[in-house]
Order: sequence, then C-alpha cells, then structure tokens
Amino acid sequence: MVKESNILITGVGGQGVILMSELLGRAAVADNLRVRGSEILGMAVRGGSVTSAIRIGDEVYGPLIPTGKCHVLVGMEPSEALRNIAYLSKSSLVLVNKAVTIPFTVSIGESSYPSLEEILGQLSKASGRIVQLDAVKTAQEAGSRLATNVVMLGALFGTEQLPVKIATIKETIKERFPAKLAPVNIKAFDLGYEACRKAVK
Amino acid sequence: MKELTISSDAPGQRLFVLGNEAIARGAIEAGVQIAAAYPGTPSSEVTETLAGVAKELDMYVEWSTNEKVAFEVALAASICGVRAMASMKHVGVNVAHDPLMTAGYIGAKGGLVLLSADDPSAWSSQNEQDNRYIAEQGYIPVLEPSSTQEAKDMMADAFKLSEQFGQLFMFRSVTRIGHARGDIVLGEISRERRKGQFIKDRTRLVYTPREARINKPLMLERFEKIKKAVNTLPYNQLKLASGARLGIIACGLSYSYTLETIKWLGIEDRVSILKIGTPHPLPEELVLKLLNSVEEVLVVEELDPFVELHVKAIAGEHNIPVKTHGKDLLPRIGELSTRKVTEAVANLTKAKMPVDFAGIDKLEQETAPLLPWRPPALCPGCPHRASHHAIKVASRRVAREYGKDIEPIYPGDIGCYALGYNPPQEASDTIICMGGSFGIASGLAHVVEAPIVAHLGDSTFFHSGIPPLVNAVYNKANITMVILDNSTTSMTGFQPHPGTGYTAMGDETVMLKPEEIARACGVKFVEVVDPFNLKEATEAIEKAIRFPGPAVVVSRRLCAIIEQRDKKKRREETIPYCVDQDKCNEKCNACIELLGCPAIIKEGAKTVIDSSLCTGCGLCAQVCPYKAIVLE
Repeated sequence: MVKESNILITGVGGQGVILMSELLGRAAVADNLRVRGSEILGMAVRGGSVTSAIRIGDEVYGPLIPTGKCHVLVGMEPSEALRNIAYLSKSSLVLVNKAVTIPFTVSIGESSYPSLEEILGQLSKASGRIVQLDAVKTAQEAGSRLATNVVMLGALFGTEQLPVKIATIKETIKERFPAKLAPVNIKAFDLGYEACRKAVK
Repeated sequence: MKELTISSDAPGQRLFVLGNEAIARGAIEAGVQIAAAYPGTPSSEVTETLAGVAKELDMYVEWSTNEKVAFEVALAASICGVRAMASMKHVGVNVAHDPLMTAGYIGAKGGLVLLSADDPSAWSSQNEQDNRYIAEQGYIPVLEPSSTQEAKDMMADAFKLSEQFGQLFMFRSVTRIGHARGDIVLGEISRERRKGQFIKDRTRLVYTPREARINKPLMLERFEKIKKAVNTLPYNQLKLASGARLGIIACGLSYSYTLETIKWLGIEDRVSILKIGTPHPLPEELVLKLLNSVEEVLVVEELDPFVELHVKAIAGEHNIPVKTHGKDLLPRIGELSTRKVTEAVANLTKAKMPVDFAGIDKLEQETAPLLPWRPPALCPGCPHRASHHAIKVASRRVAREYGKDIEPIYPGDIGCYALGYNPPQEASDTIICMGGSFGIASGLAHVVEAPIVAHLGDSTFFHSGIPPLVNAVYNKANITMVILDNSTTSMTGFQPHPGTGYTAMGDETVMLKPEEIARACGVKFVEVVDPFNLKEATEAIEKAIRFPGPAVVVSRRLCAIIEQRDKKKRREETIPYCVDQDKCNEKCNACIELLGCPAIIKEGAKTVIDSSLCTGCGLCAQVCPYKAIVLE
C-alpha cells in the first residue's frame, strides 16, 4: 500500500507542466494506484506561472499538497521552483531545470530576476537536497528541445521515490505521443532518468 | 483492447480524468440529452467534453450566446420531459438569474441541473461570489461534491433527484473540483432517449401574478420533501466518535481537507464529523444529532458562512448549548487548504501542529522579494496587442484637443484582452462584467468630457455587448466601441460562437458579423480594420472618436494561437523578425515599452527577438522608430 506521495510540478505556461502531470497520473492509475491532483488553468496558460500537483496513495484526499508536505518538487524553471518554497520540508527533494525563462516584466523594468545562485541558496534553506539539471540540453541530445518536460519526468523517476513502475510510465508516454515522436520522448525520459541517478549518487 | 475514454460503456473500469470530465461523465451516465452552456473558467471543459461525444451518444449540445439563453434552452427541454443541464461559471449564473428565479416555481419534469462553477480565490474571475445564496433565494437544492469520484456520482444522481422531487437542482462545483484530476470508477451509461413533448399547461408555464401565487406554495411543498429526504442521501454522512468534544461539519471539498487534517493531527478518534453534500437544504436531523453529542462545532466551508448560519439557526431553534465556530477561525476570503483547516482544528483541540508553519511563512516572506513578477500576458503575435496600441495612440491624439490634462478613458471587458491591463499597455480603466465596457462607456459619456473608447471581444459582444450598444445609440452616448474580433472565444479555450460559422457539435451555420449588427442597430459610423495594419487601424479609431455620436470599429484578426495551429496544418513556415543591431538604438526600447511582447527581450543592453516565440506579426517593426526590426 502506498500511503502518500506528493509531487509538485512547477513552470511557466507552455512548458508542458500539465502534460507531465497527466502522464504521471495516467501511469499511476494504470498501476492501480489512487491519484489526486490539481492545477490552475485559464489565465495561467498565457505565459504565467503554472503549478500542478499530483498526489498518489491511499491516504490522500484533497487535490492540493499541504504546506511543507511535498516529497518531490520539479521545477521546469528555477524561479518558479522558488515560488513554491512553502511546500518544501527538510526531507523534500528538489529537481531544477537550470534554463531560465525571463518574464517580460523584467524587460520593461517592472521586476528583476535573481541569479541562479540566489535561487539555489534560498531553496537550500528549505530543503537539503537539490538536483540541478540541464534539461534543455539533454532534450536536444534526445532529438528535440520540445521534450524538455519528458527529460524532467525521467529525472523525477530517477529519484526512485515514485510508486509508479518505470515500464508503466514508458508505456503511457508511447500511448500519448504519435508513433513518430515516441522514440525521441522515450530517449528523453531515459537520459533524464540517468542524469538524475548520476546527480543523486 | 479498445482504449478507455470518457464515453466508454465500461462499468467498473477506472479512468484518470479532469474533474470537469468527471462531471460530464456523470451527466452521460444519467443519459442527459440536452446540454447548453456559455464558456467560463472553471466550467468550460464540461460542455467541451459533452460536445465531443454528442453525436456518438445521441445528445444535443450547444454553446449558447449567453448563460441566460443556455439556461432557458435547458429549461425548455426539462418542461418537455427531457433530461437537460445548463453549465456556467459562478458569475454566469448572474446572467441566468432572471429565468432561474422562476424555474423553481415551474419545477422539473425532465431532470434539470444547473452547473454553477464557483471560483474561490477568484483564480480566473472578477469576484468570488458564493452561489449557494442564489440557490437559496430560488428554492433550488444544492449538491456539492468533495472529490472527483463524488463529482461524477453526484452529477449522475442529480438528474434522478431532480425528477424524483420535480425540482431543479444546482450542482455547485469549485475550481479545485473542476480543475482537479483524479481516478474515477465508471458507472453504467443510460441509453434511454426520450422524445420531447410540449404539453400546454398555462397554470404551470405562463407566469402572470396569478400563477406566481398558485405555484409558490407548490414549490414550498416540494422543497419540504427534499428537506426530509436529504437526511438519508449518501452524500451526507455523520460519523460520531464516542466522547468527542468537537464536531466538524465539512461542506463539499472542505471535507477532503478535513480528513487530511485529522489524520495529520492524529486525532481521528477524537472528533465527530458530519460530511455535507447538500448545503441547501441541510440534513437537519443529522445536524441535530451532531449538535446534541458535542460541546463545540467547527463548520468548515469555503467563502461565506452559509452552512454556519444555518447550523446556528438550528442550534438556536432547538436551544442546544453548543458553541459554533466557523468564520471566526477560517477565512471568508480565498479557497481553503489542509493547512488552514489544520490551524483552525489545532486551535480548538490544542493538538500539536504537525509542521512549523510560522517558520515556513518566514521563509516565504523572505523569498517574496527575490521572485520576478510573472503575470499572464498576451501571446506573441496576439492581435489584441495591436488593437490596444492603436486605441491608445488614436485616443491620445484626440484627447490633446480636449485640453492639456485630459486623459482618454478606456472601459475594458472580460476576455483575453483583459491581460492588456498590465503594464506596459495598461489598456483598461475598468473591467467589471461581461459587456460592461459598453455600458460603463454609455454612462461615462453623460458625466465626463474626454474621449471614451471602450473595447470588448467578439464572443463578449454576442454575449452581452449588443444591448448596451443599442442603448448608446438610443440615448445618444458619444462613445467609441471597438470590437476586437479574433473569431473565437480564446480565453476559455477557443469555443465557437455566433460569429465563427460553426456550432459546438461542429456543424456549419451562419456567420454573424458584428459590423452588420452595429449598422442594423443604427450606428452611423462603422469601420472594419486589420489591427496589424497599425496606421490604418489607428486612423479609423481616430475618425471614430471624432465622429459625433456612437461609433464602432471592428478590429479583425484571427487569434494568434489558432493562426499558428492553422499554419502548421498547412505546413506553412513562420518567418520571425529580428533586430538589426547596427540600426537599433539600445537606449530606445520603444518596442518593449509600447508592446510588452514576450518574444522581445533584453540580452544585456541589446534588444533581441526570440525567434522560437515570434510569430512574424510585424507589429514591432511598425512601431520601431529606427526601422531596426526586419524579417529574418
């Protein structure tokens, strides 16, 4: 029995955050696990912040992860990972894609973007374990920059903290993408998985 | 094996779905035959899901011009004995309010369900009104689910209950139900299809004062029966813990937060819990049982103290000396969370906090100044950006002639273009309700002297822009009304509308033109422009502002997202623009400061265009004073 596994995926509209949680959720159901989750759609899809929670287990009831109860935080974008610091605890694991997306408010001088060191420094106050990944580069190695989200999904499985079988998530990925794109995405998943394994060791 | 989908007749199978898909599945299982709606977050996916399977399942699904019409369409079907639903966001119910308040008098023949998708925290709305009050006003019983599974089950039952009691039911969803995801176990799909029959019944269907007086007592009788029946519905559940001092009454989704809370605090056997699935009417017998067994009660519900006030009334009526808490410990503002409920329950039980919330808050406050501001923005290539720019340039030109300090006023509206209220465009001075831009402009015209240039989108125009347009003509309001026509309802997910030429079910239909409607309504100045021809658009809007009397400009250009999708299908390449660094004055920044396009960014001092985001609309090339932006 799986009691409670809380995964928070954060990023910017257009980065494929929702697709990641959909894949994870479907795979969990295929493995006969109970799943709850929630996301903000609507205004957020227009380049705003996006967060999606996926919660797996028999002792999960609500759609939202309680404050300080996230097990793995996946940041598709560093500042968006930081924005969700309240969900972390000392035992949380944070996976961060290092590629930044600077909002237009920075270009027009309405706000500023912190350095990667500042972001990681602040995150480390909440969580002892942070894994940095160059997911865009890894996705390009796999064959497409568009597979960055699947690289991060692979990395999430690389933490070996998920109750979902790797064979199941791969099957779900193959079902979800057209036959032409499936191999690139499977490769992206594998490379992400390995990158995380290496970093965690 | 065939892939499992939302329309699969596969009882017992499990499917991972969006909450709104679960709601749609419930309606499918009930054999709903008519579904009408106007899109609005967080409700739209319910009707989209139904539209997608309508032909396969022999249902009729439509996007109506607005929520009032949607409700009337469903009501008509119910009158004819057919199961029907109308779906809308919470503020949409305001638009449907007029027929809704009489629908209770009529009662339901075919099961009739109103889906009200409330939005605690106002994630995508102009307010966070609590529609349980609207239901109460109209004697409409409310079903409120606590989970994705229950959302499906309840929706299926809602139609049966509506027929059983002959009354319309409200299904109240919230953002974290409709936009939650979860696994559901599928039930059986009813294949019953009824033929609608209109039976003339003036006493029940023609509302003059006489019928109102005849039908109100009948409605009250129906409601009394429902009041008794809710005590035994499976959606209301009382779990008494022996010797418990504290009872928790948890309504709808709040029940899930409550279950997590008592587990987190480790007090499962110390509190009694009453789960409420029908906040209106409350299961009074269950409430009494709980009140009589504990010393203190905490009502956990989102937004207003609706259940709390009724519980207090029940306790008062029966002289039960129980202390009732609710909004003294939980906020009226915003959605609830396990944390908020945990703090309230810990306060009453003196249980130890499971997490150092104060420490987390401190860290979060310390983090806030580091975070960049990332509001949602108009997409790269969005034609609204061009329209906003043209409106502002034209209005300022004319405003100067009114006097030195005169600023034009820009009443705005609900839709994607509302995103242009952020800097740098700041293109809306008011945003209040659907169609409100034209109405507010009409009023402003009689009290201020300044150019008044209102704008709304095509779908909003058909929804509620036409009556205020007629009003401006009739009452001689000297205003300019710009219709930003991107040929879709973009904000809610590209639903079709009367100007698009096709219906929810994909059938071809007439394509109404806002300019023809404006002319037919008596507007004497009507022009149609392409906002990507900035000079032409600006000149037309300037002429419209100078025109004595109400004037309309239709600014027409297909939504950039649809345009890009279509291009891909046609295998057409997008040629992005780039900055010629030899010509660009790095200190100018006009393109960035005027347009705020996400594709134009600063790399150090340099201004560059992100070619992966640029759609090649060419707007920035038109505003660049140095002619430094050129096609790649």
